[in-house]
Amino acid sequence: MLPRTIFRTSLNRAFHTTSKRSLTIPFLSTLPQKPGGVEGTPNDPFIAPEPHKTHGSYHWDFERFLAVSMIPLVTLPLATGGSVSTVADGLLSTILLGHLYVGFQSCIIDYIPARVYGKNHGRAMFLLSLGSLLSIIGVYKLETEENGTIGVLTSLWKNREDQEQKEKKN
Amino acid sequence: MMNSVLKRSVVNGLNLQRGLATATAVAPRLKNFKVYRWSPDEPSKKPYLQTFQVDLNECGPMVLDALLKIKNEQDATLTLRRSCREGICGSCAMNIGGRNTLACLCKIDQNESKDLKVYPLPHMYIVKDLVPDLTNFYQQYKSIQPYLQRKSYPEDGKEILQSVEDRKKLDGLYECILCACCSTSCPSYWWNQEQYLGPAVLLQAYRWLIDSRDQAAQTRKAMLQNTMSLYRCHTIMNCTRTCPKGLNPGLAIAEIKKELATD
Repeated sequence: MLPRTIFRTSLNRAFHTTSKRSLTIPFLSTLPQKPGGVEGTPNDPFIAPEPHKTHGSYHWDFERFLAVSMIPLVTLPLATGGSVSTVADGLLSTILLGHLYVGFQSCIIDYIPARVYGKNHGRAMFLLSLGSLLSIIGVYKLETEENGTIGVLTSLWKNREDQEQKEKKN
Repeated sequence: MMNSVLKRSVVNGLNLQRGLATATAVAPRLKNFKVYRWSPDEPSKKPYLQTFQVDLNECGPMVLDALLKIKNEQDATLTLRRSCREGICGSCAMNIGGRNTLACLCKIDQNESKDLKVYPLPHMYIVKDLVPDLTNFYQQYKSIQPYLQRKSYPEDGKEILQSVEDRKKLDGLYECILCACCSTSCPSYWWNQEQYLGPAVLLQAYRWLIDSRDQAAQTRKAMLQNTMSLYRCHTIMNCTRTCPKGLNPGLAIAEIKKELATD
């Protein structure tokens, strides 16, 4: 009796999962999904998550604020040829970091959603926050000990030019 | 007996004459239609593309005409949704030649050397052949409460009036027939369709949000205040490119974001 039921279930499975085409990240465990992605009967409405302005419009406003404030902060060093004050440089580095944080956050919500990956979603968010915090220390070090983000970038450029000139001389 | 035979021959003769008068024999212009097939009756059989040949000389101009001709004359098991055959019901939405559109509004490319591939709407659960399961889509539509909601009614007991300017705000929104072409073309909807409402439903949400006769704007806006429902739109704009009715769901979503930004 028992082997027969086992045979039956495996047969059913063979019928309905001939191949899996949905893209999931192979090394992350996933949660079982609702059949057809549908909850309740066809006549039930979809139930949206609890409203939260910090996740909704405030988050979007913040995102736009970061993106818009990048425009003058990036134009300034481009216009002055790299010589900007430490304050402007620090502001650019911090806002760029925030911009990257929000961007990667959006990627995690899209590609590692809590609905599919469960706890892995939180882990990814934690890793992102940890990396961003470490980057803040990095920015602080750049501003105090080095020549700032723009300074490092310009030195990269100059070094390359110097190398090219040396090669020409040789 | 003799009479009927005579009649038949006369009729045949007339037919012959008529045929001779209209045209010399026209060479058939056979075009290949490759149609996605999958049947729940044989769930272990993988989905495949079946090729049908249709003579364009004897077929109407639209893809829906060709599909119905195939269904009538070649394979009656071919399954698809259709109703109005003039682009007002939204039933025959499918992926034709790589683009989501309505089969009844999509002209057949008259170059018969090119194959035409017909798939169901992408990234949807398939019921059979070209019929996708739209349950989730309709549940989402229901969730935005697509009807007028009022706290107070005119005292004279007559209809709720709307100015010409306010009515104009609904142009470009009320024409939406909910065919799901835009939603199923949106990569963000492919990734998170269980939670992201998608362009079609958000366009409808905006349509009820800006209706001057509606008084539930605050609750409508509050419903979208979360990460998934609205803000999964990354302005990819596939929705606007694919809309068979020429509407702009991307703009409607941007307008909702603008309204929420200062809310």
